Amino acid sequence: MLYERVLRFLRDPAPDAFGALALEAFAFQFERIPAYRRLCERRGLHPGSVISWRDIPAVPAIAFKTLDLSAAPGGPVFRSSGTTSGSEQRSVHRNPYPELYREAVDRSFPAACLPAEPPVPILSLIPSSKILGDSSLSFMVDHILDRWSAPHSASAMTRQGLDTETADSWITTQIEEHPSEPDLILTTALALWQWMEHLERRGRTYRLPPGSALFETGGFKGRRRQIARQELLLKVEERLGLPAHRVVREYGMTELSSQFYTDALSGGDPDLFRAPPWTRARILDPRDLCEVETGRPGLVAILDLANLGSAIHVLTEDLGLAERGGFRLLGRASGAELRGCSLAAEELAAEELAAEGIAAEGSAKVSAGKSAKKQLDSIVED
Amino acid sequence: MAFLGSQSTALRRIPDHELLDSWVATVEAFSDPRSPESRALRPALGPSIGLSPGGLEAALGAILGGVGKLPARDMIRRAGAFPKDPRKPALVFLAGNLPALAVQPLLPALALRRPVLLKSPSSEPRFTPAFVAALARRLPAAANAMAVLRWEGGDVRIEAPLLAGAGKVLAYGDSDSIADLRSRSPAPVLGYGPRISLAVLGAGIDPETVAEGLARDIALFDQRGCLSIHGIFTLGDPEALARALEVALEELAARWPPGPARLEDQAAARQEIETAHLQGLRVFELPLGHGAVLIDPEARLKISPGLRIVRIFPVADLETLPQRLAPWQDRLQGVAMANADSLLSALKALGASRIAPPGKLQHPDAAWHNGGISPLEALG
Repeated sequence: MLYERVLRFLRDPAPDAFGALALEAFAFQFERIPAYRRLCERRGLHPGSVISWRDIPAVPAIAFKTLDLSAAPGGPVFRSSGTTSGSEQRSVHRNPYPELYREAVDRSFPAACLPAEPPVPILSLIPSSKILGDSSLSFMVDHILDRWSAPHSASAMTRQGLDTETADSWITTQIEEHPSEPDLILTTALALWQWMEHLERRGRTYRLPPGSALFETGGFKGRRRQIARQELLLKVEERLGLPAHRVVREYGMTELSSQFYTDALSGGDPDLFRAPPWTRARILDPRDLCEVETGRPGLVAILDLANLGSAIHVLTEDLGLAERGGFRLLGRASGAELRGCSLAAEELAAEELAAEGIAAEGSAKVSAGKSAKKQLDSIVED
Repeated sequence: MAFLGSQSTALRRIPDHELLDSWVATVEAFSDPRSPESRALRPALGPSIGLSPGGLEAALGAILGGVGKLPARDMIRRAGAFPKDPRKPALVFLAGNLPALAVQPLLPALALRRPVLLKSPSSEPRFTPAFVAALARRLPAAANAMAVLRWEGGDVRIEAPLLAGAGKVLAYGDSDSIADLRSRSPAPVLGYGPRISLAVLGAGIDPETVAEGLARDIALFDQRGCLSIHGIFTLGDPEALARALEVALEELAARWPPGPARLEDQAAARQEIETAHLQGLRVFELPLGHGAVLIDPEARLKISPGLRIVRIFPVADLETLPQRLAPWQDRLQGVAMANADSLLSALKALGASRIAPPGKLQHPDAAWHNGGISPLEALG
């Protein structure tokens, strides 16, 4: 069965088998996903005519917001927080093969993120699946905690949001009682920012045990993104004693089943994401979807064999550039914006949502009086 | 602001005909690509606003054409009916998406003899100071009553004294910025917020004739204006219209080539087009930036990602259109209309401030009530 062969490939990837397996997965999805078949046929492509994995048509990430792209029934349903442009519907990724997802985590997370041999004391600032049942990030974090966490690990994210006192007290205990055990903190950039602001307000400073690390995902939207990240890293160093080279960045999304990490813990470039062997990341020119030269910016396209249950080839909304066997992120496709006599795409899109009776959950624009659920959604936004 | 305010008297001493002559001469200088002003400004203006040379000429023609001799004369004459009291300065926050936008508030301000401080947008800092300087050279008596400054929007330390000294505040910007200004300004803030435009075509239209005008309304300003068309509701054959529109957009791409698009806009456009293919929509696709026409039977107005991408919504009747557009109440700006006069009052009731034949939508004159607001009332 194809599923089992993909699973075996994730466990033991033979480099020369990737292309053939990708083409088989393409045929599988062409057969089972009507919308995808339609896209391929419009391009004059079918399994018999595609001879390289590079030519497998990519599914735009925003299509997950409106189309059912599942190749098989069952499995968990993941939904995005839908906030990247503060608008629109949420992406829905039906994942009939969660074992592939777990296997992808097992084969990539430990080497990139664990600061020591497991079990590792982990503090999570990411909501668990009990709080956000449809978040792929929460699914992943649950799995990480199950698999590699020490018994005295903790979560500081509640239904009401970040529990800063729990986070502070956990760190204090770790430093006092387990000073030689490296800790791992799992967090989104936004939750981390909140925590650092809290520590700053309280004038609290910690020094995590030597060798500790931090897993950071998500980011800040808009033009302040890079500035905010640098500020955040400075705050982390100042408040937790954790230098930037102990911060691993993760790149993942609801529409994919695999994750990409930077090599920070092994001394690599802290902003260069590496593709695991069952994936390929390419940078495409949005004008013609051809691959751009190394070092030139374009749209990030990911071929992810672990996405056998939906679309293995996804055209993301992220901009990046390829470099030395990895890629860097540069920003995101703009939202559907009106730049008319002024611009407020989010607001207009929220009008669209309201018209459709869809709550603008997680909208970055929702601030005053937003519910805890919405706060959590915005914390886990990718 | 106090100094600007003190210039109100000097402004009131300027005879109407002097103001008109100087204004018209300045507008004509900036409209004529061979004038010294244009030759100094245009090479840098196009790249900074993100329009091609052809696109910039068309854009300047549309905006400056609306404040030429006749509309300016009419506005100055009508301003005479407003009270003649000294006026505190107007503070105008400009947006950077369109070139030459400054002329729209500047003309009524001068017509009303109200001194004005224009905040030039960071993204397009060239036109406004050049225009104001050229006008001041022709009308020295008004030179001290007009100022152009540029600063980082939202800087409270800079803006607090300006807001405190302003008699009127006009803001072109996103709703958050407008709300922020309202929370800080002692004077009322008139906001020109986000709006969307569309086309409505009734029965019996000739697709090719209409398409030519629609293409201009889509492509002008590279679809960045609040009067740029995002969707077309039609009673007629959507396929024939789409084909005609594709041809018209292709022709316009030669006359008004698209400006250098940002990568993030190209990425969004590509996502939109690929998703349309997946959804099984009919897609008439030109090279990215030149335009694309999507036939969307769902007939629900959507915001275009730009780059001249437009949706055609085939509808069986027009009577239900106001209902379909109800969610956009007070967010509609303009409607290009052909053979659908029965909808006029309903569209106005939805907030559409400009209704014009295809091809004319993006050419309002100075009297246009942008957002439903009279420009003289706004500053009077």
